[in-house]
Amino acid sequence: MSTTATDPIRDYIVQEFLAGEDAADLTDDFDLIESTVVNSLGLVRLISWISETYGIPVDDIPLEPAAYRTLADIRRFVSEAAPAAV
Amino acid sequence: MAAENDTDTYGLTAPYADELNDDVTRWDRAGEFPHEKWKPLQRSGLFTLPFAPEHGGAGRTLTETMAALEGLGHTSRDAGLNFSASTQIVSVGIPLQAFGSAELRERYLPRVTSGEAITAHAITEPGHGSDVMNIRTTAVRDGDDYVLNGGKLFITNAPVADLFLLYVRTGKPGAFGLSTFLAERSTPGLTVGEPLDTMGLRTSPISEVTLTDVRLPVANRLGSEGAGFLIMDYVMKREVLFSFAVNLGEMTHRLKRVVEHATTRQQFGASIGKNQAVAHKIADMRIAVETARKWLYDTGRKVEQGKDASLDVAATKIVVSEANQLTARHAIQIFGARGYLTDTGIERELRNATAGSIYSGTNEIQRNCIAALMGL
Repeated sequence: MSTTATDPIRDYIVQEFLAGEDAADLTDDFDLIESTVVNSLGLVRLISWISETYGIPVDDIPLEPAAYRTLADIRRFVSEAAPAAV
Repeated sequence: MAAENDTDTYGLTAPYADELNDDVTRWDRAGEFPHEKWKPLQRSGLFTLPFAPEHGGAGRTLTETMAALEGLGHTSRDAGLNFSASTQIVSVGIPLQAFGSAELRERYLPRVTSGEAITAHAITEPGHGSDVMNIRTTAVRDGDDYVLNGGKLFITNAPVADLFLLYVRTGKPGAFGLSTFLAERSTPGLTVGEPLDTMGLRTSPISEVTLTDVRLPVANRLGSEGAGFLIMDYVMKREVLFSFAVNLGEMTHRLKRVVEHATTRQQFGASIGKNQAVAHKIADMRIAVETARKWLYDTGRKVEQGKDASLDVAATKIVVSEANQLTARHAIQIFGARGYLTDTGIERELRNATAGSIYSGTNEIQRNCIAALMGL
């Protein structure tokens, strides 16, 4: 999976959680939770955004932080839950 | 003069002005919910706006609904009733439409959109006001049911509500241990306390809600177990936009009234508005009203487009509630002794405006959120 500037999930995380910071380290396997880039409040925002952006019903959204640990994890879940959107 | 909203829903409640404004001072003194004024709101179609037509809704957008609520604030001088009406739309109907099962939607939404069933949502607890992550009321799974125990406090509309949306803990500590349940008032073990006497918004009744071994079927849960905080996040954004759109209408009306007074009241051979001390206050009121309008509708459009508006919603809540308080204080000062009299209704507006920096998450909590969102 590429991490280009047109990647909406990466763009969202850079814009909302890393605004004004160097995002060069945000690779596909960068740990968003461990690094505290996404904290518990951020996780709620991230999940809400994914649900609304990709039209995934809240019943189909995993609520464990592990599902959102890395960009690769998030893309994997979104591509399974909303394959047409990714 | 402040701009009027030209959205077609803005004037929805205007034809009912006489009924809504009948004896407002007496109702405020009594501190009672004016049931008879609920009926014109039902007839106006206000409660139908953001809901799907198959459930009796009008299918209007979020910002069109905000415009109607702004119009209500401009029309009705009963801010307590206005607040209860806004709560009616957002507390049960909005989450039920977005997260409820087809069965729940079919069963309850028509009663909500018609206004036949008055609704409330129960989030705040005696030990946890804005600290919603620490909700202690529990729901424990028991076969096909959940058993709920705990207590809620300061629940708007509770004394008159038929339906409650309950935010409770079903799992681990923190955000993802919360779940949301729909309960009818008649559910055994659900007890509504006496209305609490308040400083402002006195016609919008609030009370305690106690849950003692309340048994609810799994089917009454909205969304999956643990999704309560996501539902709350969705609802609170709309609660701020709807209830503070009402405030915008109230402020716009207040500003018009103050301008009229300042241009007609004569002192020392001239209208009092010719005094800079008065004119500057009115200019500040205008700035506050228009700033509130920009924040409200910019944020509304952002939410409507599905963008992350967490910071915007927090800022909007602060800007509008503080504008409401500032304009109410200035109005009293400009009206002088008349503003201080209860019969003119000006002092009531200051009492009502005071609540805005407290409910929907205190302004201190909103500032904490903004700071956290800035990485501080």
